[in-house]
Amino acid sequence: MTTTTLTIPRIFDRPKSESGIWSWIGTVDHKRIGTLYGITAFIWFLVGGLEALLIRAQLAQADSEIISPETYNQLFTMHGTTMVFLVVMPMSAAFFNWFVPLQIGARDVAFPRMNALSYWLFLFGGILLNVGWFTGDSPNGGWFGYAPNSGITFNTGSGMTFWAIGLSVLGIASIAAGLNFIVTIFNMRAPGMSLFKMPVFTWMTLVTSILLVLAIPVIGVALIQIGTDRLYGTNFYNSLNGGDPVLWQHMFWLFGHPEVYILILPAMGIVSEVLPTFSRKPLFGYSFVIFSGIGIAFLGWFVWSHHMFTVGLGPAATSAFAISTMAIAIPTGVKILNWMATMVRGSIQINTPMLFSISFIAMFTIGGLSGVMHASAPSDAQQQDTYFVVAHFHYVLFGGALMAIFSGIYYWWPKMTGYMLNDRIGIGVWFLMLLGFNLQFAPMHWLGMDGMPRRIYTYSSDQGWESLNALASLGGLVLAIGILAFLFNVWYSRRNRIVAGDDPWNARTLEWSIPSPPPHYNFAEIPEVQYRDDFWYQKYPELLEHEDGHAPAPAGGQEDEAAHESHDEHDEHDGHGGIHLPDMSYYPFLAAAGVTLGMGGLMAGVWVIVLGSVIGMWGIMGWSLEPVNDPDPDVEH
Amino acid sequence: MLSNLLPRFSRRNLLLLLVPAAVALIAGCATDNPQSTFDTAGPVAEDQANLFKLIFWIAVVVFVLVEGGIIWITLKYRRRSENEMPVQTHGNTKLELTWTFIPTLIIIAIAIPTVIAIWDLAEPPSDEPVMTVEAVGHQWWFEFRYPEEEIVTANELRVPVGKNVVVKLHSQDVIHSFWVPKLFGKVDMVPTRENELWFRADEPGVFFGQCAEFCGVAHALMRFRVIAEPEDDYEEWVAGMRRPPVSPTDGAQRGQTLFAANCSSCHSIDGHRAGTYQGEIALQDGRWDGWLADIENSRIVSAPNLTHFGTRLTLGAGIRDLDRQTLIDWIDDPGSIKPETRMQDHGALYQTSDKTANLSAEEVADIADYLLSLVPGEADAPPATGGGGTGGGDPVEIGRTAFAANCAACHNITSDTLVGPGLAGIGDRAGSTVSGLTAEDYIRQSIVEPGAFVVDGFGPVMPSFAWLSGDELNGLVAYLKTLN
Repeated sequence: MTTTTLTIPRIFDRPKSESGIWSWIGTVDHKRIGTLYGITAFIWFLVGGLEALLIRAQLAQADSEIISPETYNQLFTMHGTTMVFLVVMPMSAAFFNWFVPLQIGARDVAFPRMNALSYWLFLFGGILLNVGWFTGDSPNGGWFGYAPNSGITFNTGSGMTFWAIGLSVLGIASIAAGLNFIVTIFNMRAPGMSLFKMPVFTWMTLVTSILLVLAIPVIGVALIQIGTDRLYGTNFYNSLNGGDPVLWQHMFWLFGHPEVYILILPAMGIVSEVLPTFSRKPLFGYSFVIFSGIGIAFLGWFVWSHHMFTVGLGPAATSAFAISTMAIAIPTGVKILNWMATMVRGSIQINTPMLFSISFIAMFTIGGLSGVMHASAPSDAQQQDTYFVVAHFHYVLFGGALMAIFSGIYYWWPKMTGYMLNDRIGIGVWFLMLLGFNLQFAPMHWLGMDGMPRRIYTYSSDQGWESLNALASLGGLVLAIGILAFLFNVWYSRRNRIVAGDDPWNARTLEWSIPSPPPHYNFAEIPEVQYRDDFWYQKYPELLEHEDGHAPAPAGGQEDEAAHESHDEHDEHDGHGGIHLPDMSYYPFLAAAGVTLGMGGLMAGVWVIVLGSVIGMWGIMGWSLEPVNDPDPDVEH
Repeated sequence: MLSNLLPRFSRRNLLLLLVPAAVALIAGCATDNPQSTFDTAGPVAEDQANLFKLIFWIAVVVFVLVEGGIIWITLKYRRRSENEMPVQTHGNTKLELTWTFIPTLIIIAIAIPTVIAIWDLAEPPSDEPVMTVEAVGHQWWFEFRYPEEEIVTANELRVPVGKNVVVKLHSQDVIHSFWVPKLFGKVDMVPTRENELWFRADEPGVFFGQCAEFCGVAHALMRFRVIAEPEDDYEEWVAGMRRPPVSPTDGAQRGQTLFAANCSSCHSIDGHRAGTYQGEIALQDGRWDGWLADIENSRIVSAPNLTHFGTRLTLGAGIRDLDRQTLIDWIDDPGSIKPETRMQDHGALYQTSDKTANLSAEEVADIADYLLSLVPGEADAPPATGGGGTGGGDPVEIGRTAFAANCAACHNITSDTLVGPGLAGIGDRAGSTVSGLTAEDYIRQSIVEPGAFVVDGFGPVMPSFAWLSGDELNGLVAYLKTLN
């Protein structure tokens, strides 16, 4: 072993403190990073919601002049970009971070510092995207950024360049996070937890992570291309110089459709945890649900052109994409029926998380049905780019993904904080949100079929869309009150704490077997897993004898046993006091700041690129040379 | 007690509620809304709506079963005592295979008519006559070209009832989408591509169309009309488009001069003259190239052809009914009606501090009156071949008129540069510009083949005017030679 040690000058001491802002900046604890994701995403949710409210205010009446067309186009562009990339994705990431290690009996993710890097890149990328609100030049070419309208000839501001750069930064964060969770789930499961004993949420995290790692590079390439088109006059998508604007659409949607499943699969995972818990029954058809999820993710790669039915693909391609799109309805339908069957003959506890999950099924079904209408290309020719589509994907992404995320928030809040969210207020929140949501988005089906296109900042009274738009705007107001009521609930529940205990819901998975909130090291002893829903059968061993139909997969064969034993030894040796967790580090923050500055510098000037590169290299070098744990004088190694 | 009643009550109640709700749902859509996709007026939209309705009714059944099921299950199996422990069912492979199979059948039932309709609607029935028009998307208006009738117009597409119409779709700038909900679903207008759709209007009427692909600031204000008329009326319109307009009088006459000086570099009004069709297309391309060559400073942009503007129903790409006051407002300050028009951003007329027209109120009104006066003259008026409206036999006079109509927009007769160079003294200069050409040949070449020699400092943006009649060409040459 060589004894040469490279050292990089340390400007700050390695962070040690457990509180204060520096403890957050230096944290590599998956739970703290999850909290950072959750809070940041929720703030963006409020920003995106405010943008939506302004849109609804403008559209509430015909020929309205509340908002200028320039601002309106920025609002809908940033509303879509924000809700997809800064809300639903990181909300899912918050749950991945918090609960994947807890559900698989691990003490952290595989790469804790890379995990921190993902978060900081997400934060800084989101800020880059939103710089325009302060310079008056926000992205305005739609979240889909269709060329050549997003090109420099027709879009001369800096907004779309910031958009391309900001999304690229977010893309790095997503790829890093995806890799991290794939490795974590494959390598860090507690002994005995074979893949098919994993909780469904962890399964869906795995599938989503694989999608992220495969799909984000596609948009990454496209963003670099459109970025250089804008910055340096390349002609990838510049139709005026022979670039192909339709290629952009292929690239965007080749990413964009798997992205839809990146948004919805984690939600399906949450629902698959909540429904069994509050029905006191195992998930009906575990393997059908898992394989449907995998099937959806797989088929998701073969349907992208259904976003482009009107672009002139020709009847052969149109037929193929219509059929592949319809095929996705099959695994989706299977999931819906399995969730319903989970509830059948159960003992259904009606509370806030359960109501949100049930609403997820109900609303997602509506979105799925209108989805089949789009899949039929001739029918879609009338729906494409109308409010019917707006209704469709809000039923999927709000009625679906966000309902499930709220279900997850109410479900896991006691585990994360140690106290309950008030259920009565919670039911009020649920009611207001469900009511407001439907008031806002159901009328949009009619508006679309009455010929109202998307992305129009105004409409005329001779087009006959006034009353339904007024109704939709009213719904938006109710929905906003629902969100405020949620904030009130958080405030109220913090003041009037009801201590949760380890397992307030009588739940099924490992995260409920440890204290709330969990200690830094999660598990004092790494659990050994025998069954799917192992914690449930620890509590009710007698149920194992009353199995109807499939018995839960019993403990595995020889290999598993062997694995247990070797681990046991290790565990005892490690003991409670000797748990080693990675030390905190500033370097992920530095690396993320450097990358963001360097890329943002493309807009700001060479010196910013240089500064960013220096900081970024400093962060990466420091990170590489920093031991995971500083030598600890108290422990012999 | 109540708990036993509730599920049964709700089950019946659900059917009572959901089925009529579904009926009301589709009935609610069949309104007299001007852009309704249900109130169809032709076979394409009808097929599309029928496919939607088929899927809709299947969806209604699924909707009622699933949503009803969810509510029923939630109520029936809700927890009645804290200690109850249901049977731990893990699944049922047969059942699950069944409900994998059933959606598959439903999907097949939808996929078959879908694929049939995709191929059916791809082209018009081959055994029926078709007419072809071209639609070009611009930010933010639609140009319509009738290659067979040699007509160029804008924002209002006239078609005969009962005739299959093939529309070839282009775009000059960004992607737009061409859509008339009552007649046909949308197809995109993509630069670099030529898309195509077809439709037929089975009943006369004025149908609302609108751009359906986000195309920039004024996307919301990019509308148009399809005017379907009985065959005779349509033929009458075509014939009218071939006849010169009635002669303007009073204000309109003053407006004509003002229009020629301020508007005609971008807006053509002479589409009634035979032979102008190719020229107008070349001119429009030239305007576009000119704008693109120098976006910062261009004073020329592609613009709607205003031939027989007085017959139009709407203004500003279908966003306002055409009336005198609206037209005056539009000419004075287009931004008061539509934001960020290229007309206002680039037109020389609008390079003022407040971006309103550099004209007095009377002058604006005169231009409006002139435009409104542009309606076809009487059918028995002399046919507008060649030098329509020129009269007189003096070549210089013919040339002077032809210059005002065709050249004055870009060329001044002083030495000032407008879009092209000022032409004062051209008669003297021309002879020595290109060796081997006489002054007369040089001027003629510049008109017929402008790309052959381009004056330093100017882009090759001038279209060819080879379509001018022989008299006009001779006249122009004669007239230009007098400019010493």
